[in-house]
Amino acid sequence: MRRILLVALFGVGMTAGIVDAQPQYPTKPVEIVVGFAPGGGADVAARLTAAYASKKWGQPVNVVNMPGASGITGTLHVLRARPDGYTLFFDNHAVSSMLFAVQGDVPYKMDGKTPIALVTLDPVIYTVKDDSPWKSLGDVAAAAKANPRAFRYALGGIAGVASFSVSQFLYAAGVPVPETNRVVFPGGAPALTALAGGHVDFAGQQWSESGGLILGRKIRGLTVVHPARLPGLPDIPTAREAGFPGLDVVGWQGLSGPPGLPAAIVQKWAALVEEAAKDPAFLEQALRVNKVIAYKGPEAFWRFQQEELKKYLPLATRLGIRK
Amino acid sequence: MDTLGFLFQGFGQALTPQNLFFALIGSVLGTLVGVLPGIGPTSGIAILLPLTSFLPPTPAIIMLAAIYYGAMYGGSTTAILVNIPGEVSSVVTTLDGYQMARQGRAGPALAIAAISSFVAGTLGLVGLTFFAPPLADVALRIGPPEYFGLVVLAFSVVVSLSGASLVKGLSAAALGALLALVGLDPMSGVRRFTFGTSTLLSGIDFIAVIIGLFAITEVLVGVEASITAVSTAALGRLMPRWSELRRCGGTLLRATGVGFFLGLLPGCTPGAISFISYDLERRVSRTPERFGRGAIEGVAAPEGANNATTSGGFVPLFALGIPATPALAVLLSGLMIYGLQPGPLLFEKRPEFVWAVIASMYVGNVMLLVLNLPLVGLWARLVRVPYAVMAPLILLFSVLGAFSVRNSFGDVGMALAFGAVGYLMVKLGYPTAPLVLALILTPMLENALRQSLSMAAGSPLIFVTRPIAVVFIGAGLALTAWSLLGRPRRRTT
Repeated sequence: MRRILLVALFGVGMTAGIVDAQPQYPTKPVEIVVGFAPGGGADVAARLTAAYASKKWGQPVNVVNMPGASGITGTLHVLRARPDGYTLFFDNHAVSSMLFAVQGDVPYKMDGKTPIALVTLDPVIYTVKDDSPWKSLGDVAAAAKANPRAFRYALGGIAGVASFSVSQFLYAAGVPVPETNRVVFPGGAPALTALAGGHVDFAGQQWSESGGLILGRKIRGLTVVHPARLPGLPDIPTAREAGFPGLDVVGWQGLSGPPGLPAAIVQKWAALVEEAAKDPAFLEQALRVNKVIAYKGPEAFWRFQQEELKKYLPLATRLGIRK
Repeated sequence: MDTLGFLFQGFGQALTPQNLFFALIGSVLGTLVGVLPGIGPTSGIAILLPLTSFLPPTPAIIMLAAIYYGAMYGGSTTAILVNIPGEVSSVVTTLDGYQMARQGRAGPALAIAAISSFVAGTLGLVGLTFFAPPLADVALRIGPPEYFGLVVLAFSVVVSLSGASLVKGLSAAALGALLALVGLDPMSGVRRFTFGTSTLLSGIDFIAVIIGLFAITEVLVGVEASITAVSTAALGRLMPRWSELRRCGGTLLRATGVGFFLGLLPGCTPGAISFISYDLERRVSRTPERFGRGAIEGVAAPEGANNATTSGGFVPLFALGIPATPALAVLLSGLMIYGLQPGPLLFEKRPEFVWAVIASMYVGNVMLLVLNLPLVGLWARLVRVPYAVMAPLILLFSVLGAFSVRNSFGDVGMALAFGAVGYLMVKLGYPTAPLVLALILTPMLENALRQSLSMAAGSPLIFVTRPIAVVFIGAGLALTAWSLLGRPRRRTT
């Protein structure tokens, strides 16, 4: 009996020894796939996170862009990858909630992935041209209601933040949405360029897209959809202050992996993001690219995504953009 | 302080050993990503973006900007030598550049490409230096109806690219337009011609198509004709003659004008600008029949326009924070990571930074010229390499290039398929350039048309009530009519 016990103990010791001797993840370069072209909101957040992780772990963490099909191409690539922690992706509002609200047959399942952590929020700012007579969201609502056929607004893409942010506002204001003029652009930058040029009257894009033109006084921010006013833009009231407390469309970026990603790897990444979210240098960088750091761990991140989908599904159906 | 004062101060910064070093690194890397098909300045800049966490802002942005304009120098190299456009904007360069190479004039073609890039790039920088903020406001006035007019103008080029048969040229253009419609509808998200596959969902990648149509087709045709090398003609002089340079003088001024002003407009596809510049040259030329058969202006015009476009693109970037191209979008995130939010305030608050970067671009262009001219002799020899060695290498680089655009095997398949399409087109006498042009222009046409109509609650009157749009549309129709009327006469000469 004692011998058996000894052998067993020895065995356990050995196994423990082997586990200890195994080098820690990551032992080779990690790839973080972004389903969009370089330079966009998800890309910048991914690169900041990747740089933080590389520095921390001493292993290269590379961002790989696989743009196409509203982010579906890159997302599919990762969902089909081996769940070894060396292929992850930067998840965002478009590929994980808005696309599902708009399309009934997205070629992957929302729960077919391993959520790791929410990293950043990119709040919506409702904007008009800098010399617009409209000084508040209430002015816009009144004008659009009085003459919906003359009301023109820009959307930076059909399955993006703006589709939902602008329509949510118009519904809340009681504007007859089908009568208004929706002008769709290939992205946030061209949409806001058209606003600055006076070719459209109104937009509701993200902070990362609008910040520069607001500071440059080409467009004016009327309201920001966030619990508090944004740093650097103290004059723009929140939706609650503007009298539209129901507005809650938001852009976000987070980290997810293929299905069946080992818990240890998920925890390691989540802990890293949590730590980064407290690092003053990281916070400073995020602020500069107009992002709000908002860490949520794996479970909270998953619940957040489900809440998001619940928000957008009825909006898409009502708008008639769901297919 | 006036502009010149700021610029001289900028040179003081740009000429420090550290900043010179990073401009050089950027120029070399830019040339390299330009030469390699598929790897463009966008991925080049994106790959080096993490370096921004180690470098101070000025040298980092100097380096990233140099990658961008350096790539325009490199893009012409493979276009001329082996008919592979290294970048979208070098597609037109293949038309006359490759013909020059086959005639044993690869040297002068490469040299004029570098010289044109330098001259037009530098002239464009002068525009950037003196007029950036006011020009940026002008660019904002160009909206969807005006872009629609510009596309109509650009489409008039199809007629002159058609070659012998107008029907064949228009058919090729129609095929290009059809291919451009594959993927998600930009306005409604409806899937078009995707046949339920996820590969086609993302649309047909432009680079994959041109790699197929140009490089792979060329290899198939070359192998079939059992050519022994791209060119067997004696390698003549490497530099263009003085008379040729003089002939390109006017070309370069026009190319700078077209490239810089269209480059200011964030909604104008850069690939289309080189086509417009090429077409303009053929129209003003007294001997338009030389174009497509190795005319040196046919290389100078698109290469000059490319680089002027690059300089023009920095105007909306610095003055408004609006990126005109995907590569500039990456550069913008680089600026933002440093807290350098572009816009009118950037010129006021951080003049030392803006002017150091602008001055470094003058320096970088000189470096690129000095770097590229000596390489001409080396590159030009490549056309004599036995085709049995070259053909597999071209195929290898084609496949790598098609893959690296979006890291997708679907694009490799697409490039191979378009190699076959291109081969059939060549055999049946269909020109490929109109297909490429229509592929570039159709998305812009569709967006501009539908945006304009939505702006006006569906009324097409918007195209006749906006003066700038009227001018563009009128010019496009007039040029088309001019080309159509000119055709029979041109055939008999």
